[in-house]
Amino acid sequence: MSRPIRAITATVAALLLATACNSTANSNSPDSKGSSARGVTADSIKVGGIVSMTTASGYSKKDTDLGARARFDRANAEGGINGRTIDYLGAEDDGQDPAKNLAAARKLVQQDKVFAIAPMSSVTFSGADFLQKQKVPTFGWGTLPSFCGPTYIYGFGGCMVPMPGGTISQTWPEGLKNVTGGAAGRTVAILANDNDAGTFAIRTYKQSFASAGYKVTYAKASVPATSVPSDWSAYTKELLRSDGGKAPDVVVSVMQTPYNIGLFTAVKRTGFKGVLTDPTDYDPGLLAKSATKQALDGIHVLLSFAPFESSTPAMKQFKADIKKAAGGKDVPLNMHMMTGYMSADLFLSIAGKAGKDLTVASFQKAADGFSDAGTMVGDRQLPRGRKESFGCGALVQLKDGAYRVSSPFTCYEPIPFK
Amino acid sequence: MADLLAFVLSGLVSGALYALLATGLVLSYSASGLFNFAHGATAYLCALAFYELHSGFGWPAVPTALLLVLVLAPLLGWGLDRLMFRKLAGVGETAQIVATIGLLVALPALGLWTVELLDDAGAPVKPAENQFGLPGVGPSPAKNWQLLDGVGIDSDQLITWVATAVVALGLWILLRHTALGLRLRAAVDNRSLVELRGMSADRLSSVAWMLSSGLAGLAGVLATPLLGLSSHDFTLFLFVSATAAVLGRFLSVPLAFAGGLGLGVLQNLVAGYASFAERITGFRTAVPFLILFAGLLLLTRRQRTAGTAAADAPPVDYLAGRSWARRWGPWAVAGVLLAVSFYTVTTPFWSGILAQGLAISLVFMSFTVVTGLGAMVSLAQATFVTGAALVAGLLMSHGWPFLGAALAGTCAAAALGALVALPALRLGGRSLALATLALAFLADQVLFQLGWLRNGDTGWEIPRAVFGPVDLGDDRAMGVAMVVLCAAGVAALGALRGSRAGRAMLAVRSAPAAAMASGISVVRTKLLLFTVSAGLAGFGGVMYASYNTRITATDFTAMTGLIWLAVVVAAGVRRPQFAVVAGLTFAVVPHLVGDYVTESVQLPVILFGLAGLALANDPDGYCAAFSVRRHRRRAAVAAAPSEPSGTAPEPAAALQLLGVHAGYDGAPVLQGVDLTVRPGEIVALLGPNGAGKSTACKVAAGLMAPLSGRVYAAGDDATRQGAVGRSRAGVVLAPEGRGIFPSLTVDENLALQLPDRDDRSAVYERFAGLAARRDVTAGSLSGGEQQLLALAPLLHRPPRVLIADEPSLGLAPQVVEEVYRLLAELRDAGTGLLLVEEKASEILGVADTVAYLAQGRVTWCGPRDQVEAERLTDAYLGIAATGEVEEAGRS
Repeated sequence: MSRPIRAITATVAALLLATACNSTANSNSPDSKGSSARGVTADSIKVGGIVSMTTASGYSKKDTDLGARARFDRANAEGGINGRTIDYLGAEDDGQDPAKNLAAARKLVQQDKVFAIAPMSSVTFSGADFLQKQKVPTFGWGTLPSFCGPTYIYGFGGCMVPMPGGTISQTWPEGLKNVTGGAAGRTVAILANDNDAGTFAIRTYKQSFASAGYKVTYAKASVPATSVPSDWSAYTKELLRSDGGKAPDVVVSVMQTPYNIGLFTAVKRTGFKGVLTDPTDYDPGLLAKSATKQALDGIHVLLSFAPFESSTPAMKQFKADIKKAAGGKDVPLNMHMMTGYMSADLFLSIAGKAGKDLTVASFQKAADGFSDAGTMVGDRQLPRGRKESFGCGALVQLKDGAYRVSSPFTCYEPIPFK
Repeated sequence: MADLLAFVLSGLVSGALYALLATGLVLSYSASGLFNFAHGATAYLCALAFYELHSGFGWPAVPTALLLVLVLAPLLGWGLDRLMFRKLAGVGETAQIVATIGLLVALPALGLWTVELLDDAGAPVKPAENQFGLPGVGPSPAKNWQLLDGVGIDSDQLITWVATAVVALGLWILLRHTALGLRLRAAVDNRSLVELRGMSADRLSSVAWMLSSGLAGLAGVLATPLLGLSSHDFTLFLFVSATAAVLGRFLSVPLAFAGGLGLGVLQNLVAGYASFAERITGFRTAVPFLILFAGLLLLTRRQRTAGTAAADAPPVDYLAGRSWARRWGPWAVAGVLLAVSFYTVTTPFWSGILAQGLAISLVFMSFTVVTGLGAMVSLAQATFVTGAALVAGLLMSHGWPFLGAALAGTCAAAALGALVALPALRLGGRSLALATLALAFLADQVLFQLGWLRNGDTGWEIPRAVFGPVDLGDDRAMGVAMVVLCAAGVAALGALRGSRAGRAMLAVRSAPAAAMASGISVVRTKLLLFTVSAGLAGFGGVMYASYNTRITATDFTAMTGLIWLAVVVAAGVRRPQFAVVAGLTFAVVPHLVGDYVTESVQLPVILFGLAGLALANDPDGYCAAFSVRRHRRRAAVAAAPSEPSGTAPEPAAALQLLGVHAGYDGAPVLQGVDLTVRPGEIVALLGPNGAGKSTACKVAAGLMAPLSGRVYAAGDDATRQGAVGRSRAGVVLAPEGRGIFPSLTVDENLALQLPDRDDRSAVYERFAGLAARRDVTAGSLSGGEQQLLALAPLLHRPPRVLIADEPSLGLAPQVVEEVYRLLAELRDAGTGLLLVEEKASEILGVADTVAYLAQGRVTWCGPRDQVEAERLTDAYLGIAATGEVEEAGRS
């Protein structure tokens, strides 16, 4: 590069930087006013959603959108919230891509000018910092760390990631006591994926099961995390001899469905007669296929909401709402619908409490100290939900092609996380 | 012991799938010379089709599987070959890799989009998401047999084994015992020679692609119960099976097949006995990629010129010699306008998107260094981004200032880059690309699983930088700062290119051996390329993370790096400013498409993937496509001769070149060559190095089309005829070196041209030396025997014209004599011969007519007895008068 060109480049750069600093000095950044009335008019509240619908892994949460729509539809049918109807824009698809997640959040806030985001359900939440900074109340499934701490981000069941200095929910071991007839003398083996998340899960559940009185004989994060093994003997060999040479009473899997299918099939083929349990396989869609029905037969699945098999008025209402939103069709229920539904429900409950004068500030004020009881996710309490989960759950068992409740929906006292 | 047996048996299941995929990879590689990253996507597509047809439409399993494997998958392979791969065979390796990466995302999207459309049309398709425990060809759920205590197999495994064994047998029969198989193997050995022998390499390539796709389809159907409908898993599976293809050196089907089986077993054994590595999170997950990396390092044969893709022709510099304002003016204006627009027209949303696009541009520029300048394909750029951002975030959480943390992150990325560069010193081309990919996966699965580095799923906060009054927290200020940084990056890379180090990089890229001879350290240059590129990617990564204000370990995975490469190369990887265009396109276009074109999520992905098709036509990317084409047209117009020679063809001539002009990419070589070869005549074409003799041979044989002028074979205009047609018309070229297939046996070499056994027996009777070594591979014959082998079938069945390019090259004098005797025998059989030689001495003994070629023209042509030593010298020196040529040409 010749000397004059260098000079020109430097001058242009300096000029541009000068513009930049000038402008920051006298421009008002978009959030400085708080834009309290964003998305709220005299008779409507604008709400959007972010859901991963299409993914390369074949895993989709798209029914979350249907669940939220069902809940908002009912609210509107009942006359709205303090005279305002919910204008639900539908969910943006983030494709499990962090860049798209943030772009979706920006689009909803800056272009569509929504008041709140409900639901937000994905495996990534890179829009969290932006939403917190822009003061956008956001509701979703609290399985990501962003749901723990930030003041504008709410998990419908509370924060479900144990944080240092926080607590661990005891729903799984406590519920399992109903299955194993107490914890005394019972042994548990825990298996997870070989990655950081798996290692963290092992650490958490080891403490959780041990403090409930179970003896943890095996807890390892050893299953390859990127592809399902075709052969499980390498991973079950040790596990099935961990209780002094014999198999433990309970095998706990902290993995996703494809892994559980393989693991449970392999374990059962060795003649294992104990209890098998995991936290992910509550999907009535699994009953539709003979392979999954057989592989998962007999297992106990942990849920953090009331099982569809229960017959409370709230559950009946949920089913009716979903059916209506699905155009009158009887769609198979799944937990994503529940995620969307209860995310919307928490938003509506707080917005209702905020009163007629709805601003971000009044909404936050209403959220602070919000509590109710007996919902499908148990007793909700804020701001407690920012630090820990509401601690409620149930176990269902898949037996002969149907789920049945093996431990009823109950709330348990959490323990401190070490 | 039972454990071991169980590990081996079930390892053979994944092994069988690896073997099928690896075999397909080898077949397609040998057909078109490209590594098909989309091979796993093809398998996925078949798995999806099988699921929809079987479970959705309710078709019976086995016929559906057969239909897919035998008909639909091969059809897909055929279509892709016709549309894409055939054209890609001629462009550089980078464009090839990128085009198949495009397909890797486009094919699954195409499948899902079709399902969407069918669903809208009311067809009984089932949703493809959240499907687990899918039925395969066999019973579902699978039946299980317990062989020994702890050792069992199920019906799916059994079916996989049996199907794989049948395929192995079928492939062996096809390749070893059929004429088609022989041709396929010949095409693998030497594609252009196959064409010169009158067999259509394109058609063989289609067959290979159909076979390859069929194998992928089979793997897909068999893997459905195991992998479900995750295109991601299928692609990972493919990367692992690439190890087996490496074992077969991308050439040997049996080795790749055996390698696949062994790989499955090895992987299982390591997983079963790797308790030593329990404390390393991610080790077991990473086992397949460790094996891939080790395999690449150990098994790749050291290339003479490892590390670079010399096949990449340098890009056309359409702005050469233009002024600075012409070169950079438009870019500078665009940059200033962009910066100004942040404070005038753009909405907050678009300001954010543009700032994001500019931030990613910095990362994209790193490809301009390693791939654009260094011609090495790095698939690990996302690793550098994640590494740098994590380190910066970690330091900022300890109170470091932004600038310090960003610099430290950049250094960390540069160090990682130097580490990744180590295999680059040994590997080249697709092996290097795969090695960097394996390292990227290893980093994702082991390095970035370190708790202290990644900070769980929370990651690290990276607040936007604040320098005095400039607060980048405002998207507009961030955007302007990014414009400045991008401009600085473009300028710096321009300076690097022009510097001593940059020239060294270009030298190493195009001719490593020559570069070494001129005192350039290839090792240091490659290390520098990777380090600079990684540092730049790392710095861009910190900036991009600061746009997001957070970095988590899963934000940029190895797969992200693949997509990035595709986006950059599609735009053009040779100039840094194109990387900025790519970054802005990457950020802006999806939103524009979503807002104005289509609601479908799949359609943009399909369109993006099909950009690979465009690369086949414009390998330098879309940014330069228009200018390059215009430049080429102008160059072609400038190079084209004023008027074609009006001479009429001579009907009796066996081969005639009239006024032929030809050249390479605007550089003229032949400038009006007239040559006539009559039946039963030997024409010797003499001339110094670089006179255009080989080019004349290529034009005569149809390997190269002339820019102007005509070629007549037996009086018929054959100017537009390719090598295959020319050969079928009886014009045969024996290329420079030996016209044989070195990996085939002597007998197989003969069988390609003399399928009849009796014909071959006749040849053996005449050449006892060949008969004695008929089962030896031709490559292990001596030079003389190889030349005999090349000529023997021609002697048995004399062609109309034989063009021999330096038939005496590298042969002992007695052998040369023998070769010339055989050539004279061919003449006596009525063949017209065009012999090209650099040394005149021996050939003058047999030639009837002699033509001198100098500086792209025939400077003298006449009967042998008129050849005078003086005239010969003049011709070699190119000082013969033009008038004399005209005269001589007419005589």
